[in-house]
Amino acid sequence: MPRISRRDFLKLYAALAASAAFAGAPRFLSSARTEQSGKPNVLMFVFDAMSARHLSLYGYDRKTTPNLEKFAERAAVYHNHYSTANFTSPGTASLLTGMHPWTHRAFNFRGMLDRALVDRNLFKLVGEEYTCFAFTQNLWADILLSQFDMDLNFHLPCDAYSHTDNSLFQPDDLSGDRTLAYYVFQDFLNLRTEETHPFPGSLFIGSAELSKALTSDREGVSAEYPRGLPTVYDFTYENASVFAGVDHFTQSVASQSSPYLGYFHFWSPHGPYNARREFVGMFDDDLKWHSKPRHSFAQGDFSQEELQQKHREYDECIAEVDAEFGRVISDLEKSGILQNSYVVVTSDHGELFERGEIGHASALMYESVTHVPLLISAPGQDARSDFHSPTSIEDILPTILQITGKEIPDWVEGRVLPGFGGTEDVSRALFPMVAKDNATFRPLEKGTFAMIKGPYELLFFTGYKNHEDRFELYNLQEDPDELQDLFSKDINTVSQMKDELLEAVDAANRNYQKK
Amino acid sequence: MMTQLLKRLPESQSVLQVYAVIAVMLSGWTITAFLRKLPSWLLTLNMGEIFALFSYSMVVNLLESLIVLLLILAVCSLLPSRFLRDDFAVRGTLLSVGVIGALMVPMRIFMQFGLESTGKLLAGFLAVLLLTALLFVFSSRIRFLHSAILWIADRLVVFLFILVPLFAFLFVYVIVRNIV
Repeated sequence: MPRISRRDFLKLYAALAASAAFAGAPRFLSSARTEQSGKPNVLMFVFDAMSARHLSLYGYDRKTTPNLEKFAERAAVYHNHYSTANFTSPGTASLLTGMHPWTHRAFNFRGMLDRALVDRNLFKLVGEEYTCFAFTQNLWADILLSQFDMDLNFHLPCDAYSHTDNSLFQPDDLSGDRTLAYYVFQDFLNLRTEETHPFPGSLFIGSAELSKALTSDREGVSAEYPRGLPTVYDFTYENASVFAGVDHFTQSVASQSSPYLGYFHFWSPHGPYNARREFVGMFDDDLKWHSKPRHSFAQGDFSQEELQQKHREYDECIAEVDAEFGRVISDLEKSGILQNSYVVVTSDHGELFERGEIGHASALMYESVTHVPLLISAPGQDARSDFHSPTSIEDILPTILQITGKEIPDWVEGRVLPGFGGTEDVSRALFPMVAKDNATFRPLEKGTFAMIKGPYELLFFTGYKNHEDRFELYNLQEDPDELQDLFSKDINTVSQMKDELLEAVDAANRNYQKK
Repeated sequence: MMTQLLKRLPESQSVLQVYAVIAVMLSGWTITAFLRKLPSWLLTLNMGEIFALFSYSMVVNLLESLIVLLLILAVCSLLPSRFLRDDFAVRGTLLSVGVIGALMVPMRIFMQFGLESTGKLLAGFLAVLLLTALLFVFSSRIRFLHSAILWIADRLVVFLFILVPLFAFLFVYVIVRNIV
């Protein structure tokens, strides 16, 4: 008989409790929900670290996303959609609050929203008539969801559909203190072997982690997963199980309650890029590759071969996610859920394989790490529409409020997307940024601030130790690989964009200047 | 049965001395780590959150220290009394320093050299165990060593006047946070 671990028991218990809540605990569902309210349902699929640059949907040479392309045939497709940041906390916070990182202040690693702004979230704004449920495998995104716990009817644990779990605690183990649980057990008391100067707060928990790191090399390496199982810090998972779990959960909610808003934030295709066997090697091709010199602000120093290899592995992971997404959408269609649901597909940030760097959250804010996919399918939509004007991850919240018939508050910084009541604005300026080393409630002094306007992208690197402040300018239409820095050549554009960018940063800092 | 078990346990005063050593070592480690993280937390978390973090950490500390003490008492009750019980303040102290040191030293080596230093980690671990074993053997023979260990254990008891109320208060605080 297979052994049942403590965590398995807790998961089983949580699953039973969730089922029981739906079956016999109508206190979660107002009577309005169980009636035909005429309000549309909304399902959000967020794929962590999925760069639009790597999707065949947007013209990438490798056929990474046949299922997304099929889905796009009946959706609004946004071609110039950008995140506000290059890692999870600020990007996800913008997605769920409609505010820029310099407003919501969740721009640090493991960042939390400004505690005074916690009510400004999507789940609260759609109102109590909606049954809200959320699931993320990303612990940093889960910190944010924990801040919105009061507005969620169901907040599934990060490891709800995981394969194995090696950690002593997960945030949901402390249901009364979920926001801090990550900081305590995952960050402070635990040993983070990947950190430069780790210092576990608990000698015992840290030692257990150290012995695990010494004894396990590549966890879960098998014929099915030649590079090991996909991993999120402390737990491993299989995409097939996670997507099937989400599919099943959605179907159970849909059968009992309407309208609903579901938020699913998947870890894949985030590193460590461990794709399933059938996807490994599918892109062993001669993709045209632009070699870019190492950037002076890069933290990594990966060789061209390493960059190309990881680039390929990342593409394989996208293909796997795409296949799983295709399966879920097909299931939802068969069950009729798509007939009365909006489906939003996007990402919190992109990924980068260039100039010596792999991944995200570095000082490099090139397009690959900020340009993310966005597709929105309306109930019963059967034709594709394409939008090329710049749009931001902040726009998703006001758009959902628009389609659910809710009022859009004044403080929302995003705009309603074209196709859903908004208009195309080709001259709109977007300001992705990374400022992870700044104090949360002080002016931003160190970071990379980008500005995307028209065909141009201006990058401003400021406050980095041992580096002079620096600007770079690229024309993304003529030079999509960002190889020709126009900063010293296109003086007029530089001067206009520089002033606008610096003014935006100054305005954001004004509220945090010392009185 | 209970009486027999109690008979096999050492005197409460020496148990207190050994617990003081364990609690000071473990909480010293945690507080050092906490102070190292504090500057970055001050930039991102508010005071209430930082206090809650400290509370959870100290409660974990309390549980860890009790586990170590219970383990040593279990060993004490199983072994013949001349091995541990008869000189519990000294030998129990050595044993707890050995157990905690065997975790502390490899961890410090890892923090300095990273995962590549498996040999050093193992050497550090074995060195602590060897040193503990030697001290264990010689503690009863070298009078100065014996009284030095006793002196340290005795002096550390004073910290329990701070740690025990702190543990108790923070324990209640954590319970209340999770109930209310």
